[in-house]
Amino acid sequence: MAEPVKKAKKQRGKKGKKAKYKSQIYPGADKVSYRRRRACDKTKKLTKFRSIPDDNLVLLLGHRFKGESYVSVHPPLDELIEKYDPIKEIVQPTPGARAGDRIRFVQFTDSMHYPPMAPWLRPRMYFARFRGIDTMVYSGRQLLEMRERDLEATTKQLLESEVFDPARSAVRGITVHGHALRLDEDGLMFDARRRYKLDNETGEVVYTKNQHADVLDVPLSVGRPLTEREARGHDVTYRWDVASFKSRTEVMSVISRYSTARIIAGFNPDMTELIDTL
Amino acid sequence: MKYDDKVTLYNDEGKVLAEDVPIEALSPMKNPYMGEMYVTFKRTSIIDLAKLEKILRDGTVGWMTTVGQDEIKMPWYGFRVKLIEDAGHIADELKKMLQTKDDDGTEVTLISGGNALIVQLSEEMLRRSADYSPAITSTGVALGQIVSKMADLSPIDHPHRLGLLKAALFGRYPQTVSTSPGNVVSTLIKPPSALEGMGTAFRTMMINHVVALANHRTLDAVALATILEQGGQYEMGNSIGWYERNQLLTSAFQGFNANNLVLDMIKENASGTVQDVLVYLIGRALEDGVITLKGDRYPYVQPSGYKLYSLTDYPKWNAYACASQLAAVIVNSGAARNVQSSSAVLAYYGDMLAFEAGGLPDPDAGRSMGVGLGFGFYTHGLYGGAGPGAFTMEHVITRSNSGFLTPCTVAAMCLDAGTQIFKPSVTSGLYYVLREAMPLLKDPLKKVAEAAESVKGDI
Repeated sequence: MAEPVKKAKKQRGKKGKKAKYKSQIYPGADKVSYRRRRACDKTKKLTKFRSIPDDNLVLLLGHRFKGESYVSVHPPLDELIEKYDPIKEIVQPTPGARAGDRIRFVQFTDSMHYPPMAPWLRPRMYFARFRGIDTMVYSGRQLLEMRERDLEATTKQLLESEVFDPARSAVRGITVHGHALRLDEDGLMFDARRRYKLDNETGEVVYTKNQHADVLDVPLSVGRPLTEREARGHDVTYRWDVASFKSRTEVMSVISRYSTARIIAGFNPDMTELIDTL
Repeated sequence: MKYDDKVTLYNDEGKVLAEDVPIEALSPMKNPYMGEMYVTFKRTSIIDLAKLEKILRDGTVGWMTTVGQDEIKMPWYGFRVKLIEDAGHIADELKKMLQTKDDDGTEVTLISGGNALIVQLSEEMLRRSADYSPAITSTGVALGQIVSKMADLSPIDHPHRLGLLKAALFGRYPQTVSTSPGNVVSTLIKPPSALEGMGTAFRTMMINHVVALANHRTLDAVALATILEQGGQYEMGNSIGWYERNQLLTSAFQGFNANNLVLDMIKENASGTVQDVLVYLIGRALEDGVITLKGDRYPYVQPSGYKLYSLTDYPKWNAYACASQLAAVIVNSGAARNVQSSSAVLAYYGDMLAFEAGGLPDPDAGRSMGVGLGFGFYTHGLYGGAGPGAFTMEHVITRSNSGFLTPCTVAAMCLDAGTQIFKPSVTSGLYYVLREAMPLLKDPLKKVAEAAESVKGDI
């Protein structure tokens, strides 16, 4: 058997107080790593790029009418008679859960051409920044489910900030395909449902359909697309003209470290020396 | 004593239940309470008398799915027999027929005012059987004889009624692999013929049933799921030799709140996110010496300042990681008060952990993440599928791990405030009654700890 764990010297900061562990999130010293790390660092506020009115957001999500009250799936928690469980008293519910809102979704598709966000990075960002979320990835799309009022607040942050490029990210509840195709001639990601188009007069992207591809009464603007130069600066993927292959060394070494460790730990958990050769 | 590791067990209110218990006292092979549970699960069957009376009257038998129990209707073969009224008589007759000798431990108990019976076979009968089939076969045949006597059936005068009675008690078995889902005579675990693999029997309970048996108390449900999962792991050969310490340590920390780790993580991050739990884990693991930073230069610190931590003891790290995974599920599901999000946390937690810890292996050496992704697919609209509560612990989607995944989903199901169609009150109503009728099933966390305390001197 492995040797019993020796007590390590406790980390102590100034004034003898315990030094708090600081999250490191993601390896790498290059630009792309920085973007990835920044997205998942909740101490860094996402930069606001545009403003979208609340009512427009409700229409875009298409789950309720403008001004309609929230539908409940169960009574508010304060009125609900539940069986005794100390854990329920400890964890703080979100406002939506407290009110008993139904669970609704938003789904994003991200292009592969200089995207400010990617389906595999979204869950890490969501789990770092938001509470009470449910997310799942499948082939170029990332689903996000939350209690309805929480979802609206979260979607607002996501659409208004640096992680959304109107040309290269899209809100698509159905028929999500297009992320791997070339951009259309106007620079927008292909959408088989034609939910959005470039308004040549204003230079902004306008949604004429909501995420379920139902036609909207009035087109909704989600702001101007990022220029190619800006998009390259916000890219979260490694590519030849953004960050060179060599800059990935740190990331690759971490991936190979845990891949090997998993295999050996799964084979024999007692082989600590082989699981961790460092 | 094989292993030096000792843990202190706490309940969900942070009170000490057992101090300095060797982890071997929490082994399914050594803990008396766990042993008692396994025997009980094998010897117990439930007879739904009210349902039997109804389907005999209406001739609705031979169904193939849980939701289609009225798909076949043959009222012209139906007959009336007062089973609920004579439940006491049936219980006495059953006991007489099932016991190998007087006072051998065979018990038949009336529940729900005679609407159902709990039949518990003697351990002698189990000892002389290859498996627990008699809990269904002997009980079913005995009940068939009693009912045919009560209704005065004969193969000459009533051949079709007898055929109906057989179908009511056994479904289409043996034309099908096992009895119908929702059969009148059922066991707590799947019939042996329906098992999907060797040693999976204790893992066949549905997640919602576990929640109902624990009466929605989160850490009790986690303990119950862990007892069943680890029983299965031993039976499947996944706790032998070099796997044993890893299984024992991890089940102690994740399943039985050892050293109050899970509760600490939940309390510290009561209004936090999943990543907060992760950060707390690394801080706590560094503090407890489970991981260390061996130096402040390359390769321990990378050019960007990113640190690669080192392991001092992998099983202990795995125990911490799996415990934090449970805490992360609880913190996230507790915030939204829904169960659906548990699979999402299970799918992505390992990924986030591996990058945060500088490439240390994630919970259960990556199996949690692998199973979590598949579980996420089949519990979301992406691929369709059922609510998480309707899965059994050995379902093809949830089984490929070392028993540290379903306790997390069970915990999330306890915290669900009513967002599911397949909720425990719908799928597992009988199990709330069983819990009241069988005191053994109550307070599993406390009882495991007390049992461990009682044998710690012998280890």
